[in-house]
Amino acid sequence: MTVYFCEDSLESIFTAIYQAYAEKRDHSDTVLSLSPEPMLFAEHVRVTPDVEKARRVIRTLQRRFGENDYLSLCAALASEHREKAQAVYRTVADGLRRDAGPGHLFDNLADPWVNMAFSLGRGAGREIQHLQGFVRFQELESGVLYSVIGPKNNVLTFLMPHFADRLPQENFVIYDEKRNFFGVHPSGRDWYLLCGEDAVQPALRLSEQERQYRELFRHFCRTIAIRARQNLPLQKSMLPLRFREYMTEFRQD
Amino acid sequence: MEYLALHGEQSLEDRLEILTDAAKYDVACTSSGVERRGNGRDMGNCAAGGICHSFSSDGRCISLLKILMTNECIYDCKYCQNRCSGDIPRATLTPEEICTLTTEFYRRNYIEGLFLSSGILQAPTFTMELIYRTVWLLRNRFRFNGYIHVKAIPGADPELIQRTGFLVDRMSVNLELPTAEGLRSLAPNKHRRAILAPMRQIQTGIRENKSDLVRYRNAPKFVGGGQATQMIVGATAESDWQILNVAESLYDKFGLKRVFYSAFVNVTGDRALPALPGGPPLLREHRLYQADWLLRFYGFRASELLDPKRPFFNVMLDPKEDWAVRHLEQFPVEIDRAPLEQLLRVPGIGVKSARRIAAARKSAKLSFTDLKRMGVVLKRALYFITCGGKMMYPVKLEEDYIVRNLTDVRDRVRFGSDGMTYRQMSLFDAEQFSLPVSAEEKLRSAVGQL
Repeated sequence: MTVYFCEDSLESIFTAIYQAYAEKRDHSDTVLSLSPEPMLFAEHVRVTPDVEKARRVIRTLQRRFGENDYLSLCAALASEHREKAQAVYRTVADGLRRDAGPGHLFDNLADPWVNMAFSLGRGAGREIQHLQGFVRFQELESGVLYSVIGPKNNVLTFLMPHFADRLPQENFVIYDEKRNFFGVHPSGRDWYLLCGEDAVQPALRLSEQERQYRELFRHFCRTIAIRARQNLPLQKSMLPLRFREYMTEFRQD
Repeated sequence: MEYLALHGEQSLEDRLEILTDAAKYDVACTSSGVERRGNGRDMGNCAAGGICHSFSSDGRCISLLKILMTNECIYDCKYCQNRCSGDIPRATLTPEEICTLTTEFYRRNYIEGLFLSSGILQAPTFTMELIYRTVWLLRNRFRFNGYIHVKAIPGADPELIQRTGFLVDRMSVNLELPTAEGLRSLAPNKHRRAILAPMRQIQTGIRENKSDLVRYRNAPKFVGGGQATQMIVGATAESDWQILNVAESLYDKFGLKRVFYSAFVNVTGDRALPALPGGPPLLREHRLYQADWLLRFYGFRASELLDPKRPFFNVMLDPKEDWAVRHLEQFPVEIDRAPLEQLLRVPGIGVKSARRIAAARKSAKLSFTDLKRMGVVLKRALYFITCGGKMMYPVKLEEDYIVRNLTDVRDRVRFGSDGMTYRQMSLFDAEQFSLPVSAEEKLRSAVGQL
């Protein structure tokens, strides 16, 4: 048995997959591990992330399985599951062996690893979809739009392209408070990520208009509900409570 | 005309509240059907699946800024709270105000776009012109590239509807009531023909635009997200069968994208309207939506689900279960071999899980556990499927048995359909015990005389 130790990053995990193929391992007897604990009777390989190798894996994945399936794999890797690297690796191995073709990477759902990668990807995908709607920006004095999120999965990298496409002329920042990451988008230019230590938390002074629009929206949300149809359990299942602490219309400030 | 004098004093907040309140009975709040990337310059893009931005306390999605332009109206529809004979505060938002609200809400990611409807101010054409002006401003002056849904006003100048169609993503004309008679009795100023005319016009517009787009790639898009309509359920005496047939012909003949059903809420208290002591007919609405899905995605026809002899949906079984237990000769279905169309007809198997099954069975033999993991609801499906020739449990393929198991005991008691109107008698069940205790008796029991 071979164990590849990698870090929790796309680059490192894809490099490990590259190595497993380059070194012609038996894929059913190879493990990608994110934790540093050694295993009995196994050959241990420490993976040094390599941009070029990772890029080649990404190209292969995109070519063989299509953009959507590749993005689902990335979403699966954005989850916090311990065995996500292994699930993705075995899914890829299964897909390449079957010569799955674009859009068919996750066909073999009876396989537990494929199933796990699929459900992890779906879970993260759902959270991305939720947050595309539930992110709330507030306008700061400087005109910058600022938002705080606290997602279960590491989805900031998926949210940034969406909002950059949507608000190209805005200066906006999304802050993942659980992971201490900032996604920064300067007006008219490409977005980038900042790790918490490098970034200085901006002073949050709201613009003059902000309070007015916030109140208007709260009024709107209250009024749009039909009293005769009130259904709080349904609201809760559609909009789980964990999102609400970040959303304007549910906050009291 | 006192409200006109008040007009200047109404704050933006008050007016937004009045106009939101006036628009809330419109159901459609979807932002789906259009995929449009941002152009790198203007604000906004559209996602094909639509994005829900919030959920109100009735559990409905808030996706668009859903408001009326004005709630003043020359019509007198009996079910509508904005009717001209109603004594309610009236308000109007100017096109500029609507545009500012939309863009400011959109930047903060509160909403996905604008849903603009209106009461009829002066005349249909005049109102449509106001709507057109608002949308034009929003697209051209405010450079807004997000989702816009507007109402086409029946009776307005077709030219205006045409021009509006090129600016918006979705248009809808409300059918309001499923039959012409219903419309006559409750909405004396509206006529079925006047409602269907713009619907037909938009349909033709979309079709012609499609062929234009084939020829000229950059031809402007006309109502890219398709058109929708809405029917009120429970205000008049129409049966589910009638409503579903109307919906089906709207999909077939008018090429509609969506038909929405809205459980009637009595807001005006008009005496021509039914009183609804049990609240709005939400379960009926729910069943209609389920059937609507069966029509659009599962290959069912309205005539399979209901007929003149059984014009209403089963209260306890959803339309698919109901159909399945009446067609037991087609079951059980073998998961390993059944074609996709047949899988789609099994209760508990949805479109996605059917596709997943069809893909997964190519490379492995599926077990019931696998099915569960793929999203099949085994609680419902197990009576209708076999895996490798075997059913999950030994079950009888018999209508009564399956119905009894599909419905929850609690439901059966609640709807009294299990003959469960009786219960165990107890000593305290006798009639006289339900009488209130009199003051004298209380006293006597307190001093120990009783």
